[in-house]
Amino acid sequence: MEPQNSKDHGHRIEVSADMPAVEKGYGGNRVCREVTCGFSDAKASSQEAKERSASMRKLWIAVVMCIIFMSVEVAGGIKANSLAILTDAAHLLSDVAAFAISLFSLWASGWEATPRQSYGFFRIEILGTLVSIQIIWLLTGILVYEAIARLIGGTGEVQGRLMFIVSAFGLVVNVIMACVLGPDHSHGHGHGHDHGHSGHDHGKGAHHDHDHEETDHNIHSQTVNIDIHHHDEGHSKQHMEHHHIHREADLSQPLIDSCAREKKERNINVQGAYLHVLGDSIQSVGVMIGGAIIWMKPQWKCIDLICTLIFSVIVLYTTIRMLRNILEVLMESTPREIDARQLEKGLCEMEEVVAIHELHIWAITVGKVLLACHVKIKLDADADMVLDKVIDYIRREYNISHVTIQIERE
Amino acid sequence: MENSKASDQKDSRFPYRKATPFHYHKLDAESPRSSNNEIGFSPGSDRRFAFSRQTLFHQSSVASGDSVTPMLSRTSSSIDIPLNKRGWSEETFLWGEEEGSDEKPSIFTHLLSGFRILRSGNRPMRRLLLLIFLNVAYSTVELCLGLLLGRVGLVSDAINLTFGCGLLTFSLFAMAASRKKPDRIYTYGYKRLEVLSAFTNALFLLFMSFSLAVEALHAFIQDESEHKHYLIVSAVTNLLVNLIGVWFFRNYARINLVYRKAEDMNYHSVCLHVLADSIRSAGLILASWLLSLGVKNAEVLCLGLVSVTVYILVMPLFRTTGGILLQMSPPSIPSSALSKSMRQVMSREDVSEVSQARLWELVPGHVIGSLSLQVKKGIDDDRPVLQYVHGLYHDLGVQDLTVQTDYA
Repeated sequence: MEPQNSKDHGHRIEVSADMPAVEKGYGGNRVCREVTCGFSDAKASSQEAKERSASMRKLWIAVVMCIIFMSVEVAGGIKANSLAILTDAAHLLSDVAAFAISLFSLWASGWEATPRQSYGFFRIEILGTLVSIQIIWLLTGILVYEAIARLIGGTGEVQGRLMFIVSAFGLVVNVIMACVLGPDHSHGHGHGHDHGHSGHDHGKGAHHDHDHEETDHNIHSQTVNIDIHHHDEGHSKQHMEHHHIHREADLSQPLIDSCAREKKERNINVQGAYLHVLGDSIQSVGVMIGGAIIWMKPQWKCIDLICTLIFSVIVLYTTIRMLRNILEVLMESTPREIDARQLEKGLCEMEEVVAIHELHIWAITVGKVLLACHVKIKLDADADMVLDKVIDYIRREYNISHVTIQIERE
Repeated sequence: MENSKASDQKDSRFPYRKATPFHYHKLDAESPRSSNNEIGFSPGSDRRFAFSRQTLFHQSSVASGDSVTPMLSRTSSSIDIPLNKRGWSEETFLWGEEEGSDEKPSIFTHLLSGFRILRSGNRPMRRLLLLIFLNVAYSTVELCLGLLLGRVGLVSDAINLTFGCGLLTFSLFAMAASRKKPDRIYTYGYKRLEVLSAFTNALFLLFMSFSLAVEALHAFIQDESEHKHYLIVSAVTNLLVNLIGVWFFRNYARINLVYRKAEDMNYHSVCLHVLADSIRSAGLILASWLLSLGVKNAEVLCLGLVSVTVYILVMPLFRTTGGILLQMSPPSIPSSALSKSMRQVMSREDVSEVSQARLWELVPGHVIGSLSLQVKKGIDDDRPVLQYVHGLYHDLGVQDLTVQTDYA
């Protein structure tokens, strides 16, 4: 955003500290300036960068482990001259490809917004996850095809024992990677402090919301200081909260950060990679069962195909939920956690507001929500004040920080 | 450019270019039922919205003057679709009245919807249904033959074809479902499904190109070349079926295409899919012919050639659909025009700053944006400014704009 403005207008009126904006409410930032916008902001982006680097670290560990195990399997397969092991190694190679896509999307989503990509590059995560889920489906299809081909072609005897050992090894590898990529339960100590804060909250449901608020407070911690002295009336509850948060801000900063990292959902790329690993371990379990049965009774060869089919269906089923989330974001639909009807009702309950129309709520990526609507107000109402109230309400209740409201008079 | 402008003005296919109200979505259904994407929260609100839109319409037509403004020209290097298909944009309200979700329909519903499409879908939908049916029949026959005769090659080809069929079915579903009116959850409607299906098709074609390259590598390393011979009959039949598909969608058989509406992308992707399949079959036939002639490494050459061709075919579509899905600035609006508009807005004396002009494309042809203005204090009625800004951006091609005015 900044490069665009500086290129296009030679002059800009830079209003950096919102001192004259007295009744701005809540942190004093109604229009997202370049510095304090929720998308590309100093404090928020540093926190995001921390999260992003944590996710990238996880993915790097998973990739390195995958490569090590894959080379072990390739060496063992060539030595034992077994096709099954080489196939498993190829499967691990596809895992590496999927992780590489996730890593790239993670890295790319941190790029600065350009005039051509005015919303930043956050959507790349979603597309990257979509591509890696398609890879999962493709691989499952290839596995099914190979099972059918093996059944029809009748390629000699299937060695149950070898299948069992290889798939057991693959299962161990996948379980280790799942532990690396999965949800971590390490920041339990942050909870107590957090509960203390929630008493001063406006009683909104999830800690999720509260957490965002904390984050926002940390963002505006500089302007909060100034605003405390300027708030006169009407925002007494927020006033108290500002004081409280401001005092606690320094003490609880590291704790809040860790809470934020745990409370927020895992990054969608890490979730996609986790799904990949989960699918692989399910397949390994299936192959182990099939291999054990064939080991016991070598004449039941078609068990291989049946096991593959069943477990492929299970793998596809696990991806459906994430696919639905991705589809909802890509279709620009209202995110699930926000109730548009309630928001509209709450807005219309304000006195000056006559009607709301063209309400659009959509998400750039999971967790970053935008809103745009037209608000019709009474002829004699003060547009500035109504704008403030509306933006404040939306920010408070629904945590949507990126809001564009067009005020129209009756 | 001139003839397309003239034909735009007299072609009734593009009604949305003629009227310039603030709310674009209304125009595709001229019914008095006005709750397209207006979220009315009380029963009497429809009339109120219609009234407000009418007043805004009058005001905006006064403000912007010329109401038959052609859209900004597209990039001159692409080739336009010929505007001779009349029946493609007729709004058959196939899915308009459907209320249920399309998440897990049963087989019976599938069949019913198939018949409904046959009866009342528009022409490309019917053609696509026919194509899918042909493909399914052909692959079933191939599968049965392969299972009976025990030929792995036939089975693998059949499964490959089934993947393609599944994708085409998804395209058909997207075509049908994208006509639904916007509702509370999908406030922008369902047109994005077409872009999504085009993206999925392009992705599948990329995967196919990649797997063909892997196969070429495999053939290069292993140097076994007999198994291509028995697939001649199936390759020829495959080629014929796909050529029928290319003929159905022959208007879209280009690499770079100007997309005017959402469906253009979907049709283009279907055409490319069928074209790529036919190129692959042709490559297989060529390879086995060359092998029978005794050319060494013919397989590697042909497979590699096919892979590169499919990649070149698909890349522009992939990039364009990816750009739309990534919320990129619409490529049809050049940044010079954007900055000129911003300068014009800034040059008004009551505006002190314009910031955060963000534009994105929902589907090709429908641009949505948001803008933030700083207006000098003391101006009580911001309606002229709003109208001016809306009119200006409408001339650029931005149909939906939300302008936030702050009083500095």
